[in-house]
Amino acid sequence: MSNALRAELLKQRSTRTVRSLFGAMVGLVLFVVLLHGFGLKAEDLESASKQLTIVFGWGEVLGALFAALLGALSITGEIRHGTIRPTFLVTPQRRRVVAAKVWASMLIGTGFGLVAGAIAAGVGTAVLGARGIDVRLDAGDYALLIAGSAAAAALWAAIGVGLGAVVRNQVPTLIGICAWLLFVENLLVGDIAGVGDVGRLLPGAAGKAITGQDPNTLLGPMVGLVLLALYAAAVSVGGSLAISSRDVD
Amino acid sequence: MIKVLERDRGWLRRRGDGRRTSLREVGSTYVHPRDAVISVQRLSKRYGEVIAVDDLTFSIRAGTITGFLGPNGAGKTTTLRLLLGLAEPTGGEALVLGRRYRDLDQAARRAGAVLESRDFDPGRSGADHLRVLALAAELPPSRVNEVLELVELAAKDASRRVKTYSLGMRQRLGLAAALLGDPELLVLDEPSNGLDPAGVHWLRSFLRSFAAGGRTVLVSSHVLAEVAQAVDHVMIIDRGRLVADARLDELTSDGQTLEEVYLCLTARRES
Repeated sequence: MSNALRAELLKQRSTRTVRSLFGAMVGLVLFVVLLHGFGLKAEDLESASKQLTIVFGWGEVLGALFAALLGALSITGEIRHGTIRPTFLVTPQRRRVVAAKVWASMLIGTGFGLVAGAIAAGVGTAVLGARGIDVRLDAGDYALLIAGSAAAAALWAAIGVGLGAVVRNQVPTLIGICAWLLFVENLLVGDIAGVGDVGRLLPGAAGKAITGQDPNTLLGPMVGLVLLALYAAAVSVGGSLAISSRDVD
Repeated sequence: MIKVLERDRGWLRRRGDGRRTSLREVGSTYVHPRDAVISVQRLSKRYGEVIAVDDLTFSIRAGTITGFLGPNGAGKTTTLRLLLGLAEPTGGEALVLGRRYRDLDQAARRAGAVLESRDFDPGRSGADHLRVLALAAELPPSRVNEVLELVELAAKDASRRVKTYSLGMRQRLGLAAALLGDPELLVLDEPSNGLDPAGVHWLRSFLRSFAAGGRTVLVSSHVLAEVAQAVDHVMIIDRGRLVADARLDELTSDGQTLEEVYLCLTARRES
């Protein structure tokens, strides 16, 4: 492991930010899965597709969201607190710093996605079982759900770093990520006629596709993975170029 | 040798008799680039209409402590940021040990700098701040305790989060970070802000012993009394332009204090 990556991982470990984000994510996954699992009528939860989308899919959504926030904080936090100056004084090759942040955030983001996916799968199954609803997922579906959550979260962590490097200002970056993932994409991938074909090519929808949700509306898992990886690569490279070409205040 | 830049000579002559300075133009402080730790050539930085640094040229020799003086907004911090690769010049170049800072290999072993006293994550401990930088700079972890000792920051304080630190402790922590790589050059921007008199005294003797080993210090300040006691070379910058670059004893050789020379050179000219 490179020193730059170890330094970034120590940065993430040595404050409470990551732990707080992790705690908030776990709490939200539990809340949303329990709410939907218990709150909806049994006939709305009968098909595998509906179970995935309405109950189990929340692991991926929230894992990706919090991983993106984690990635964005890793760079906007340094800009906000000014630690970006000592960081760049020690490593003036700024692209190396951004690359280390991308890898470190992807690594921790993978953990976020795994945990979120596993909680959604475990708790969702328990809730449906308690209500006497047959769970229509087989072992392959579970594996895809959890591995897909991990992959989507890792790639969204990279998107968060790149976006933070472009925007630099912390609050707009975080609000932008939340608004996009929780609101804008839902509008574009939802029921509005004509935009669904474009909507499924968006990064949030691509992340959902990796977990095998809703294959009629979304892309296939592998296509979703490749597409989201392309988004992550493009945004990371964009962030790296932006931070390298601009002055540090 | 005292150097007063060409464009300022006329102004010096125009001053009233009572305030006429005794500055003489008797040569320059030219340092061959081979001997220069810092070499700045025709450096300028423009932000839109504002010219922050205007055609600056100077060199700094190894083993010296240079005070970098000027009024607020004169371009001191901008010059240091250009020198340290945090900002790109609009024109000219700034070299540290013969290379652009961003091209330095193992930069932390070449130069250390403290630009702001607030550059810490308040939620991270001082020791972890140093550990992170030591890792990134590929330095042995033992350096963390060594520099903490060097700046006299106690281990129990270092393990606390920075949000609990006084300004003086933050200054010491910043200095500790700059010293991690045991660098040849130390660049400090207003380092005595927030230090109590004992702290200022300590900093001064620290800088002297640092430079006594043949290493180089560039320190910006507007607290002239402190500078006068610590530096052997003075550069004065005003509105982005260098207005003096001389040894301290030469600048004050006619019985004028550094303050008198400074005020004379940086007085606002009516145009």
